Amino acid sequence: MLTSPRGAPLVNVQMLIFFAVLLSYPLWASSAGLYQYLGVEIAIFVIYALGFNLLLGYTGLPSFGHGAFLGVGAYAYGLWQSAFPNVFAGLLIAIVCAGLSAGIVALFLSHRRGIYFALMTIAFGQIFWFLSIKLRWITGGEDGLLNILRPEIDFRFTSINLSSNVSLFYLVAILLIAVILILWRVVHSPFGTALQAIRMNETRARFAGHRVWLIKWSVFTLSGAIAGLAGGLLCITQESAYPDVMSLHASGFVVMMTLIGGGFVSFWGPVVGAIVFILARDVIGAWTETWLLWYGLLFMAVMIVEPEGVVGVWRRIEARLKGKTAGVAPVSAAKREAV
Amino acid sequence: MSRGLLRIALSASTLALAIGIQGSIATAQEKPIVIGITSDASGQYANSGASDRRGMMMAIDEFNAKGGVLGRPIKTVHLDTETTPAIGSRVAERLINREGAGYLIGAVSSGVANAISQVAQKYGVIYLNTNSSSPTESGKNCHRVKFVWDGNGTNFAKATVKAAIDKFGKNWLLITNDYGWGHDTSAATKKLAEAAGAKILDNILVPVGTRDFSSILLKVQQIKPDVIAAAVGGDDQKAMRTQIAELGLGDKYAWINNQQDWPDVYGLPRDNLFGVFGTTWYYDLDLPDVKEFVEKYRKAYPDTQMEVPGNVFYNGYWATRSLLEAIERAGSTDSHAVIKELEKLKVPAKERMQHDDAYMNPNTHQMQQTIYLATANPENPDNQNAMFKIIGYISPEKAKDEDADAACKLESFADTPVTNP
Amino acid sequence: MDFLNNLLPHLLNGLALGLLFALIALGFTLIVSVMEIINLAHGSLFALGAYVAMVIINPGFTDSGALGSYYMSLPLGLRYVIALVFAPIVIAIVGFGLEIILRRTYGKKKEYGLLLTFGAALVLEEIIRLIWGPAEQFLPTPDAISGAFIAHGMIYSTYRVYAMCFGIFAIIMVWLFLEKTPYGAIIKAGAHDSEMVRALGINLPRLQMLVFGFGAALAGIAGIILTPIWGLRPHVGIDATIPAFLIIVLGGIGSFKGAVTGGILVGLAVGLTGAYASDWSLLSMYLLLIAVLTFRSRGLFGKKTALEA
Repeated sequence: MLTSPRGAPLVNVQMLIFFAVLLSYPLWASSAGLYQYLGVEIAIFVIYALGFNLLLGYTGLPSFGHGAFLGVGAYAYGLWQSAFPNVFAGLLIAIVCAGLSAGIVALFLSHRRGIYFALMTIAFGQIFWFLSIKLRWITGGEDGLLNILRPEIDFRFTSINLSSNVSLFYLVAILLIAVILILWRVVHSPFGTALQAIRMNETRARFAGHRVWLIKWSVFTLSGAIAGLAGGLLCITQESAYPDVMSLHASGFVVMMTLIGGGFVSFWGPVVGAIVFILARDVIGAWTETWLLWYGLLFMAVMIVEPEGVVGVWRRIEARLKGKTAGVAPVSAAKREAV
Repeated sequence: MSRGLLRIALSASTLALAIGIQGSIATAQEKPIVIGITSDASGQYANSGASDRRGMMMAIDEFNAKGGVLGRPIKTVHLDTETTPAIGSRVAERLINREGAGYLIGAVSSGVANAISQVAQKYGVIYLNTNSSSPTESGKNCHRVKFVWDGNGTNFAKATVKAAIDKFGKNWLLITNDYGWGHDTSAATKKLAEAAGAKILDNILVPVGTRDFSSILLKVQQIKPDVIAAAVGGDDQKAMRTQIAELGLGDKYAWINNQQDWPDVYGLPRDNLFGVFGTTWYYDLDLPDVKEFVEKYRKAYPDTQMEVPGNVFYNGYWATRSLLEAIERAGSTDSHAVIKELEKLKVPAKERMQHDDAYMNPNTHQMQQTIYLATANPENPDNQNAMFKIIGYISPEKAKDEDADAACKLESFADTPVTNP
Repeated sequence: MDFLNNLLPHLLNGLALGLLFALIALGFTLIVSVMEIINLAHGSLFALGAYVAMVIINPGFTDSGALGSYYMSLPLGLRYVIALVFAPIVIAIVGFGLEIILRRTYGKKKEYGLLLTFGAALVLEEIIRLIWGPAEQFLPTPDAISGAFIAHGMIYSTYRVYAMCFGIFAIIMVWLFLEKTPYGAIIKAGAHDSEMVRALGINLPRLQMLVFGFGAALAGIAGIILTPIWGLRPHVGIDATIPAFLIIVLGGIGSFKGAVTGGILVGLAVGLTGAYASDWSLLSMYLLLIAVLTFRSRGLFGKKTALEA
């Protein structure tokens, strides 16, 4: 099980370590050969992947069209921002619009599962992508929505200028922390248990009394709304919104990164996955133009050898180390969680 | 637990040490000038992107052979922008923040150019838009740090439209690539054509990435226009030309193709090159120094598929060379000083290998130059280089985009950050 | 009457396109029916088929030796036929390899296979890009099937007619194979009840590998036929996979006639919207799918399969 049957603490050690690393990033980024903008991108994609994993890892619903909601969030923020420059209102609009779109799409999908579900998500994803390119007078078409300037956040006693990548990073980091705390509560609630029940056997879950259709609809919508938040933040960062994130390729990326990280077995899977993806793209992409080949091979290897991803591997190592120290053959916790 | 922790601590500190060592290796020579090359290596404009880059590299190599610029060697970093604006934006951020690029050069797709110039303006880094020809590049999407080196849709339309109406007729059909450049170019054509008395029968939109033109060509045959003005670029255009030639429609209507980039037609059979089109330069212009320039290209790039350079290479070369010369004239890399030098740029016709002197318009940051009109060369079908026949040219004054000055609002110098790479 | 006259060429165009779509969907539906695997790498195999054919027609070693120059002196038509025969065989072998990799996922949920083939599609595309570069390539076609002809005052492309006829031919051949030959019977039995087939002494793993290879070969053939129309570049595979997936779900998973009907419907939708709003024609495919699936949740002729579990 991804979560323990008993309630989990609000915050745990792993979380605190992660928060510490996250918040200190600007201090050690350049010595690690990284740069501020990259940190912002990573944080945004972690938010995106965490929301996505609710759907894929917890509920077992493979969505190949999730980029649509990231895109809707970005465009919604951008359009709002041109009229009423206010970061938080803009992000709220992004979340609402994306959630709304997800909710409408989910009406068509929630009674499906498996392959049919996947195909419908592809179809809807393509429709959104197509519309974002076609409706030029709203979205700017292929060229995207440009000139969304980074605003200032005005508190009464001080104002923070988001033009600096560092301030932007802290904004995204704080929102990321909030998302992590909220999602942690969600997956450890009865709702989270229901999600996993659906993943294991939908029919049985229904007989156990869960309102399957409603739960699937809700998780899809929630997942879309979180993608919308990520989209709005992406728009701030790029100062524009583009249709690319809605393409099948891009939607496929979030599936791959979540799985490679270990989304099927761990809350942290998507976090690891997003970090690995963006780093791979940046670091390997600087040496060779075929970084995607290596990433694709990695993905295939993961699917064949270790569907539990990086976290799965980590857990095996951990268990082995524990086993060695304890001196007895370890009962691998990871094994028991085999999907 | 302690042993495991120890292992982790050991590996972490080794890693940190390695990174630290790598980060601190400093060169003791003159700090190089880093130029970020943002040309497309994949996607619809990959071929042109490669040509663009070669032009830039030839200019850079010329300068490095003389010891660099202001005594500093020039280093280049290239990242593929994949003809995708989102990636252009990310690439620009990385080049500026991580690679320390002091200048960004390169664009074929106007969508990508816009994305990059937004980022460049934010940081105050000078950006040269070498080959994107959307009229908005020097109009509503102009920026203080951006300079445009290609003719745009309006310039080419001015060269082609009036002559076409007089010769072929007033019933026009537009075919437009469904993105910014396509729409802006067709809009410019429409404006000029209607002003000269033409009637636009229809505007068929071609989504980017279209390869199957069958329904479009069927529609064309049903509409039966006098003139067809196509604003379709890159690989889409190659496919369109091939299918039109296959159906023999190239001779049936008068086709105007606004600007024809050399890499998009090089190697195609001659009858794919139907219609009239514009260009900024041709390798066989009967002007002094042209042959030497072509020789220089051949020596530098003996192995490429294109044996002679075309307009894309030419624009890439001139943009880069002008920037480096401007830095030398300014005597420093202070971006405001270099921008001011570029704004008053003038290059005599002989040096430019064109018929007229070329000069920078300081209000729109677009280089004003001779615009040539060409068709397919009816002679020499076996010489795959001798593709064009130049049928005329107009001066930069006659080709001028009259609306650009009003549409372009450059950011003030005060609003543009200073960089001194 | 004039309206119909205007519409007719687009209708025919759509029909031709539909038959080509059906050709693409053939290999896809075979693998889905028999092995219940959604092979998202279908499009990459499609593209690879065309690239391999291009290499067979114009191999690089033309200057070396007598054999090379002899081969190049053969008429294009002959080399084209050789490519049409041998390229699918190469793709079938690639298909074998892919099937072997996929075996690890057989016991698990269907999504694993889907995801693995998605990864394979990406990897194959990138390998193509690595070998042949991202630039658009050109698959030469013999003069006999190129060019144009005039009918009723409109000029049509000869190649499209050829492609359409080939599509019909291929569909009939595959249908005959499945319905009228003992091998076809074994394959259909394998689709229906793999346990029974194994009990009858037939080597099931080998059967599955051969079926997958056959499906891959069909994808390769479709690639050779279609890339002269669609252009040859590494990402042309996506233009094939998505319609294929869409078509078989539209027509009903597991149904051969569903694949053909679905293909024709999609082609007609795209062709007809091409007449009025060519920039919206791609969208029509998805709207059609959503419409059909909303009212007939298994598609037009679909049967219940394990894919729904």
